[in-house]
Amino acid sequence: MTHAGNTTAETAVSPRAASTGAGPGASLGAVATALAGREFTRFIRQPHRVMGSIGQPLIFWVLLGAGLTPSFDAPGLEGMSYLEYFYPGVLMMMILFASVFASITIIEDRDQGFLQGVLVAPVPRLGIVMGKVGGASLVALFQAGILLIAAPFVGMTMGPLGAVLLALTLVLISLGFTGLGFLFAWGMKSTAGFHAVMMVIMMPMWVLSGAFFPITGVPGWLHWIMMFNPVTHAMTILRGPFYDAPLALFSRGDYLLSLFVVIASVALCLTLAAARVGKRETGASVVASGQPNG
Amino acid sequence: MIRIEDLTHVYPGGRRQPPRTAVSGLTLHIPDGRFAILSGPNGSGKSTLFRILCGLARPSRGRVTVGGHDLLADPAPARALMGVVFQSPAVDKHLGVRENLALHGALHGLRGAAFRVRLDEALAWTDLAGRLGDRVETLSGGLARQVELAKCLLTRPRLLLLDEPTTGLDPASRRAFLNALGRLRRELGMTVLMTSHIFSEAEEVDSVAIMANGRLLAHDTPQALRDRLKGDVLVIDSPDPDTLAARLRDDLGVAAMRHGDELRVDDPPDADAVMLLERVLADYRRLVRGITVKRPALEDVFIHVTAEARAQGAAATAERQETAA
Repeated sequence: MTHAGNTTAETAVSPRAASTGAGPGASLGAVATALAGREFTRFIRQPHRVMGSIGQPLIFWVLLGAGLTPSFDAPGLEGMSYLEYFYPGVLMMMILFASVFASITIIEDRDQGFLQGVLVAPVPRLGIVMGKVGGASLVALFQAGILLIAAPFVGMTMGPLGAVLLALTLVLISLGFTGLGFLFAWGMKSTAGFHAVMMVIMMPMWVLSGAFFPITGVPGWLHWIMMFNPVTHAMTILRGPFYDAPLALFSRGDYLLSLFVVIASVALCLTLAAARVGKRETGASVVASGQPNG
Repeated sequence: MIRIEDLTHVYPGGRRQPPRTAVSGLTLHIPDGRFAILSGPNGSGKSTLFRILCGLARPSRGRVTVGGHDLLADPAPARALMGVVFQSPAVDKHLGVRENLALHGALHGLRGAAFRVRLDEALAWTDLAGRLGDRVETLSGGLARQVELAKCLLTRPRLLLLDEPTTGLDPASRRAFLNALGRLRRELGMTVLMTSHIFSEAEEVDSVAIMANGRLLAHDTPQALRDRLKGDVLVIDSPDPDTLAARLRDDLGVAAMRHGDELRVDDPPDADAVMLLERVLADYRRLVRGITVKRPALEDVFIHVTAEARAQGAAATAERQETAA
């Protein structure tokens, strides 16, 4: 090597050596944004997933709502068509499905190995949860946006402030559902098992939330179950912006109570999920084991 | 950089499954800036050790520090020093090559101009130029592997953990990767621990550790390991290896180890394998299909050391069964 070659090599080396290592380290927000961006990109690149998740609630809403309106005249539906009553329920269902699908991707990520790479990265564990959950919320918002175009046709309109409140509500609820799905999906090895668990847990939560039928007029025991169901409160805050202006909502006691219940549930789910991610698989105690076997 | 003290890991058993000890009383030190290879037969506990080192599992007993940080108490500071390549792919197939690398960079706090500089450096050795926009699922297995490896170079870790990284690469890109790794390692003073079965990769490293049955059998420089076998190695291909081994033991007092269909004499009398070869051919021609004398390579040391451990393990098991009966 020539002398000149040597010096260039060294000047090239020294700034490199100074910047060994990962860099300034990623913040919680940066990690969550990067991972959420990935979720959304993946969603858009699977056209069948996009079509399915938009088509399903629309079909459900039109067919079931139209079919049930004449025959379904439950107490608590004063002067409102069932289609109109069911509309926020369909929104809720879409968030539910978006969240369930987002949670399934946790199992896929683990299966395909992507997750292990994220787990060994120097990122806050809450960032991993927020990335997944945030990505799911983005997807849910995207779908909800499409369904919201139909709102004026069932006579539901709202001001710009109401629309902002509705969007925030949708984000909050989808954070909660995905957080819950995350908790269940984390330890699971198969997507089939996850589907089974979700059908047993999430679907009843949705059915018993007032999305499907009004809470007034049900038997007393069912009323209590529904009141303790956080999704019931999510339904309350989701219906709110369709009927009242935001300022009026914030002076309603039942709305504030529901808002509090939803926020507390979401915080609980996310905290538990982050704790779950932070937990490492641990070896059994040595005393309990016998001889080592090869 | 890595200090492992008396490490034991037991997988909890189930109802029908007894607990399984994967790593047992292992002590291993890898000093700063070294390039070490970890080798061992399948099921020797390498992967378990690897999972513990990257902070994915907590061992049953023992201490592990990485760069002075206690890995068991809090893996977060140690993670900041590490880059990890797993045996199974860890890239997102639905994303493009560049998108994958950008995501990995973002997880390590690398963005903008700093990311672009590192990207060129990490990709320089690969064949990925011109395919940066392509999704990883459209790449061949070898190219996808290159993305994986480029990812770990991107963050310039102080410690690089690689679990059989060159699986699926053709010889040319394996060489290219090892060269790029070696150059970056020297420039940045990286410490590298790599599990590998390919002993041609091990000839130029600083040290080779050999594991079997969860224990560390040897950890030394390649030269010192080769010196363990004093003379040449005699390898006999025999139609009836067990009979031949018995005859060698009884008639000549030579210990031959069976390895598959082969018999190996790693330590011939007077370190003269050629003399032994003549003797075997003269006396047991019928039991010999082929016979070779070769200089011990690392692979021969590996076979020697692990076969010894297996023999000892079998003897210990037999003894236990005897005492039990």
